Amino acid sequence: MLLCICAAALAATRPHYGGTLRVEIQESIEGPDPPQLGPGIPDLFNAFTITRWESGRRAVFTADDNAAGGRPFLDSVDVEMGRPSRDQAIALDTGKADIVQIEPADVRRQPPGRKIWASSPVRLIALVFSGVEDPRIREALALAVDRAAIYRVLLQGQGEISGALLPQWLSGYAFLFPAGADLPKARALAAAAPPAARTLALSVENPVLRFLADRIVLNARDAGLAVSIVSSGAAVRLLQTRVISADPARALPAIASSLGLPEPPRAESPEALYGAERALLEGFRVIPLFHLPDVYAVSPRVKGGPGITPLGEWRFENLWIEGGRP
Amino acid sequence: MTFRTRLLLIFTIAVVASVGIVEWVGSGTTRESFERAETQRVDALVAQFQKEFDRRKQGIVRAVDGIAGSDAMLDLALATDYAPNYDDARSLAAAHGLGLLELVAGDGSIISSAEWPARFGYKEDWLPGRENWRSLGAFLKREELPGGVTLALVSVATVAAGDRKLYIVGGQELDREFLSTLVLPAGMRALLYRNLTPRFSAPDLIDSSGPVPQTALLRPLVERVIADPRETARTVGRGADAETFHALPLTGYENNLLGVLLIGSSRRSLVELESSLRTTGIVVAAFGILMGLALAWWATARITRPVRRLAESARKVASGNWNTTVEIASEDEIGQLARSFNRMTHELVEQRERLVQTERVAAWRELARRLAHELKNPLFPLQITVENMQRARQSYPEQFDEVFREGSQTLLAELANLKQIIGRFSDFAKMPAPEMQPVDCNALVAETMKLFEPQLAAARIAARAELDPNLRRVAADAEQMTRVLRNLVLNAIDAMPQGGTLTLRTMALSPGVRLEVSDTGQGLTPEECDRLFTPYYTTKTHGTGLGLAIVQSVVSDHKGRISVESQPGKGATFRIDLGS
Repeated sequence: MLLCICAAALAATRPHYGGTLRVEIQESIEGPDPPQLGPGIPDLFNAFTITRWESGRRAVFTADDNAAGGRPFLDSVDVEMGRPSRDQAIALDTGKADIVQIEPADVRRQPPGRKIWASSPVRLIALVFSGVEDPRIREALALAVDRAAIYRVLLQGQGEISGALLPQWLSGYAFLFPAGADLPKARALAAAAPPAARTLALSVENPVLRFLADRIVLNARDAGLAVSIVSSGAAVRLLQTRVISADPARALPAIASSLGLPEPPRAESPEALYGAERALLEGFRVIPLFHLPDVYAVSPRVKGGPGITPLGEWRFENLWIEGGRP
Repeated sequence: MTFRTRLLLIFTIAVVASVGIVEWVGSGTTRESFERAETQRVDALVAQFQKEFDRRKQGIVRAVDGIAGSDAMLDLALATDYAPNYDDARSLAAAHGLGLLELVAGDGSIISSAEWPARFGYKEDWLPGRENWRSLGAFLKREELPGGVTLALVSVATVAAGDRKLYIVGGQELDREFLSTLVLPAGMRALLYRNLTPRFSAPDLIDSSGPVPQTALLRPLVERVIADPRETARTVGRGADAETFHALPLTGYENNLLGVLLIGSSRRSLVELESSLRTTGIVVAAFGILMGLALAWWATARITRPVRRLAESARKVASGNWNTTVEIASEDEIGQLARSFNRMTHELVEQRERLVQTERVAAWRELARRLAHELKNPLFPLQITVENMQRARQSYPEQFDEVFREGSQTLLAELANLKQIIGRFSDFAKMPAPEMQPVDCNALVAETMKLFEPQLAAARIAARAELDPNLRRVAADAEQMTRVLRNLVLNAIDAMPQGGTLTLRTMALSPGVRLEVSDTGQGLTPEECDRLFTPYYTTKTHGTGLGLAIVQSVVSDHKGRISVESQPGKGATFRIDLGS
């Protein structure tokens, strides 16, 4: 009897072929062809072949029998793009999706026992100035933002507070960059600036970041800065970029490039890297705020995994679906 | 102005005044009644609106109490970490139909805000300062939102869990959406002024569609309520666009004026009703006036017709037609007047006939007396002469021839005198019609003066002629006018037995001429003046009394006028006007 039960348990946990993995993400990737680089959909090309591409809406991949690592267990992966968080949560609850992307702040709202895959904090949330010439205003805004309150409440303690471009887990020196708020100093700096300079527009191109922007506006107001939120084209932008390499010497230039900063000199040592990053942040052209992980909620049907790496790359070739194919 | 016109004018004034007074009083009373009814209606509507407003307040209180009474709020009050609940307010507000909801910790820190989620951690310092929020019910509060300051109707509920507290602040923004959800009676609208700035701010005066475009009319009312926060009513606008606004001050929990609610009631229906009444009144008044005028026209015609007949008859009587009578058509005062008029004319005719009869008798008597007197004077010498001739033939035949010769001369003289007397009477009876031709009156006067020169000289009378050289010829019978002048000169000579001055005067009139014969004799009394032209009347011991009667007859035949001016002892002046 016991042997029978153990055999059944082993059979249930044993990988098997078949089934379609249904994935929903918030991002909507536009283009005639699917992207080839970066985490997410491009990672599927390692073991799958794209069979259907609907720009901004849907991508279907089927298992590549000739994949370098062997044929994946899944027959196919069906990715739906541009799905709001709420719809994704419903789809997951009703069994219409197997993997959905969630915000770090939503982790604590997930029902008990829900399987969560999270990367390391690889997404950098930062304020980037492109038209504000008065450094006092930039520094005032940097000092006004109450990162701790945002981290505690809006991010629900997920990710990291950061004043650095590279996350602590990657560089090891991020804690050296100040990330605390100093409202009196921020007020003094703002008051010293001309009144016209105290009025700023903040563009938030990623709607997911809007809830952060609202709090930043409130903090800025406390410092005497009038900040209004616009959709695009403002002198101050709240944006997100990501670490694309586990090598900090390669990650820093990539982040600097994505933020419009000058390319830092090649750093061979952590000290040099620190110096290069410090130089990039001089003048408050970029105000790093947080490093956040990629987080996915996963259906219990999905076996194997985790399906993502610390850098947030998709590794679905080793996943299988419960009851996928007898 | 005729009597009828005057009467018609009086009737018209009376009708117009009566109709005007009735219309004025009627329309005034009606307008007052409608104004009173309108005021009552507006008061009722305002009361209805206030009930609706109170109902909304109670709804907010119930919703907030409902949230506060939930287990979730009790758990939240006991929680040590509020971070997981920072977004609770939004869903709670949506579930309870609240536009605004904040969950606030006991120290005043915002745990979650539906209207401004980013405000978590900020302090609501006003909350911990008061204990009995529930007793306030729903109240007004300045509310800070991402878009700016606004006015909100909020209620506060407190959840107590041991020594821990949780405040639930929920409500509705008082904005155009709130106004649009108020159930308003027809013809009413609600406006809200949000008193958020020290001075009047036009964009803060809103209605259910947004900022009110025309605020100039309402600004004084709002400013008055702000200065003196009491319920006030005022009508703004004109005509059908006028509205009566009841301004209700809205105060916050600290009794500070935060808003002014304006409940407008259109006066269009009242104005249209009044306009309709005015039009109807004008039409009725015009009809009444026209009817009144027509009736006045008819009545005046009916009233004045007998009067006009009386007037016409009186004119006829005045012109000599004494037999005129008036038809008696009624028994009223006019009928009595007509009857009296007829009686009067009848009596006048009778009296005239009696007078004529009397005058005729008197004239005959006077004629008889004159005839007797005139004939007796020559008859008496005739009788004496004949008796002397008879006595001489019997007693003194030798002297008979002498007596007969003298007697026959006397008889012939007296017979001639009788003949002359009879001729005068005959002349008066046979006065010929004048033969009119242009006559130079100055020449007539001169001829007459020349004719009487010897006689005047014998009577020691100085004759004087004052002739107007500008005298124009006048149509007259020269022979008859010469006779007139002679008679007047003879009368003047008789009036001056002791001598005197005779003046003949001519003067031009416009038109016509005037002839005057003046003497300096003994003059006439007024009674003599009155009877002077009566036939057979004379003041002299001799004469027939026909001279001045003939003069008057001739002047009358010439369509002229003769008058005398005299005072006893101061002479007399006879004045003749011709051709005027």
